[in-house]
Amino acid sequence: MYLAPEGEELEIATAAADFIADALPIARLHEGGGSDMGAELRASLGEMGWFALALDEDRGGSGLSAVEHALFFREVGRQCGPLDILVQALGVQCAQDLTLRAELVAGESGVALLMPDSDRHRLIGGTEARYGLFVTPQGAALHDLSVAKIEPRPALDPANSLAIVSGLGPAIATRDGAQIWQLGQVGTAAMLLGLAEAALDLIVEYAKVRETFGKPIGAWQAVRHTCADMAVSNEGARSQLWYAATALKEARGDASAHLDAAKHLANEAAQFATDSNIQLHGGIGVTDEHDAHLLMKHAALLARLFGSRNDLLARLLHAELED
Amino acid sequence: MDLRFSDEDRDFRARARQWLAANVPSTPRPAGGHSASQFDRDWQRKLYEHGWAGVAWPKEFGGMGLSGLQQVIWYEELSRAHAPAAHVSTTYVAQMHAGPTVIARGTEEQKAFHLPRILSGESLWCQGFSEPGAGSDLAALRTSGRIEGDHLVVNGAKMWTTDAMYADWMELLIRTDPDSQRHKGLTWLAFDMKSPGIDIKPIRTMLMDDHVNMVFFDEVRVPLSAVVGELGGGWSTAMATLSFERGLGFIADQLELFEKVGRAIELASELKDADGRPAIEDVEIARRLATIKAETMAIRAMTLADIAETDRTGIPGPKGSMMKLKVTATHKALSRLVSDILGWQFFEFDGNRNNNLWTHDFLWSWVFSIAGGSSEIQREITADRVLELPRSR
Ligand SMILES: Cc1cc2nc3c(=O)[nH]c(=O)nc-3n(C[C@H](O)[C@H](O)[C@H](O)COP(=O)(O)OP(=O)(O)OC[C@H]3O[C@@H](n4cnc5c(N)ncnc54)[C@H](O)[C@@H]3O)c2cc1C
Repeated sequence: MYLAPEGEELEIATAAADFIADALPIARLHEGGGSDMGAELRASLGEMGWFALALDEDRGGSGLSAVEHALFFREVGRQCGPLDILVQALGVQCAQDLTLRAELVAGESGVALLMPDSDRHRLIGGTEARYGLFVTPQGAALHDLSVAKIEPRPALDPANSLAIVSGLGPAIATRDGAQIWQLGQVGTAAMLLGLAEAALDLIVEYAKVRETFGKPIGAWQAVRHTCADMAVSNEGARSQLWYAATALKEARGDASAHLDAAKHLANEAAQFATDSNIQLHGGIGVTDEHDAHLLMKHAALLARLFGSRNDLLARLLHAELED
Repeated sequence: MDLRFSDEDRDFRARARQWLAANVPSTPRPAGGHSASQFDRDWQRKLYEHGWAGVAWPKEFGGMGLSGLQQVIWYEELSRAHAPAAHVSTTYVAQMHAGPTVIARGTEEQKAFHLPRILSGESLWCQGFSEPGAGSDLAALRTSGRIEGDHLVVNGAKMWTTDAMYADWMELLIRTDPDSQRHKGLTWLAFDMKSPGIDIKPIRTMLMDDHVNMVFFDEVRVPLSAVVGELGGGWSTAMATLSFERGLGFIADQLELFEKVGRAIELASELKDADGRPAIEDVEIARRLATIKAETMAIRAMTLADIAETDRTGIPGPKGSMMKLKVTATHKALSRLVSDILGWQFFEFDGNRNNNLWTHDFLWSWVFSIAGGSSEIQREITADRVLELPRSR
């Protein structure tokens, strides 16, 4: 029993942190960097094998587990990384055909997320995507977007593009079972955790230097105590995510319940931390040039995916847990 | 990362479960009075005789020398077996922090005298730290000890002393240097509660009980051999005591919460609201229950993560305060929610926790977030030690 990154897990986390901070630093979003991955970054992520981290070795992946998947996407979240990085990694799991899978693993073509929205679909992260991925707890389906009608929409969250899709063609690949959904839960929960941690880091640093009434704001209890509350909810979300990802890795019977709890706690922690981070920065916190709003907007989006609050709670209520 | 318990740990769980199933008392603990403390002594004696005493204590001092994870397993099994709970027992102070303080700072004579008595349930202890003018700000304490030959003569008053009337010994923190200020000049005594000159006055609380007390000291003579740690070095000894209290002191509460949520969900399925519908069919109630369930899962994961880390490094981390904040907040949310589920039953309360545990719990939720370091103080500690923010004081 051990519930923190150790050994090779730490090496992967460090490698991911370095790569992501270099390839897609959050600063890109202030420098007119577009939303989504873009073809170039997708190809370099593919080259490094990041999309195939949790893909079985006999299917051409690294054969690592949900734990490494979580460690990677936590770093993506920290830099407000776009959702389609995760969706690409999920698409890889859905592709049965060898050629298609190799194309996706290499990042030659992109995959964006499809979400049902009354009689049509929303497409998230699809500016350059060739495929759309539709995921439920029962299974996943890949659709070719070239036949569909895509209407771009303005996006609140600058990290991801948003569009409406109609006339979606039939699925070109499907996979039954919960596995892709569960990796989606781990991935979004990890990104949310990264966002929550980034928000807390930002305010703790600022609280040491910004002075009011002759002392740093971090010495005022209204500020300190809110930061302490953020630290507590982040700690809870982090511990539960490690627990859930490890439960999935070990194929425990209660993994899905732990994932639902982990996603719920990550939703709450990220929304609380990114919200409080803006408030405690004062006026500077609402400016466009600050990172604070980027974290908040990205968290708001991710909290809707792979289990909204009500779905997660409804499933969790009667779930059985093991020792 | 790894969720698997070792074979040894699983074997320990199986043995604990089996023993508890056969030995948990069939009658409930009396709600209060001397019969309750006698019940606690008897249960402690039974644990001792069967080799289950001193779960956190090193073997050389008669304990079981369990790893942190095995302690988690032990408390989970106690809770599952509905065994007498360690944290509502009058043995709590002795087991959780007086004994460990004597182990860490006591002389050989003190260890030889006190430790076996604590383990066997012969000695119950209480904690005499807080005073009318010193709670959160413990260093403001004024109860004094004047040196006369090989004795100290104690005068003053302690407040909030839980279970003082049942205790044989007290962790007594006093000021022995009259010219000292704050953290200096304090002394920690293993104080004999049979000493002449003390007067115990119960304080009735909103829980309708009389467990907490004022303890008055009028020219009470204490031999210097009762000093634990250094004369004048009491702050350091007291910090050791608090580190035990804040480290694993709330572990039983943490793990019991998990069990309690399960019971609350059962209750919500059984009890009907005024319209005859099971409470759990109310969407708001169902969501609040599930939210709290998620929080208790996080508390268990935090507990395991923290303890596995401490087992590996041998050094407890600074996360105890964060744990207490989360446990007390979740406990409060749960008891508030159950008060809504219970309907009119919630209001039927005679002060006996055995007659209405949920309402007792609801009232106790404030004690939990005030005593043992209030939530505000826990936020201060988290801000200082975990986040390293500029100090407020
Ligand atoms: C039922 C019960 C049992 C107890 N049992 C024992 C016992 O057995 N032995 C023992 O020694 N003590 C015991 N205590 C005492 C307990 O430790 C104190 O009540 C607690 O530390 C708070 O101190 P206080 O009551 O003096 O409140 P105060 O210190 O006066 O605090 C009043 C309020 O101010 C807040 N506050 C204080 N300082 C700060 C600060 N720096 N920043 C922000 N907020 C602050 C507090 O959080 C609180 O809300 C018990 C208390 C209770 C209620």
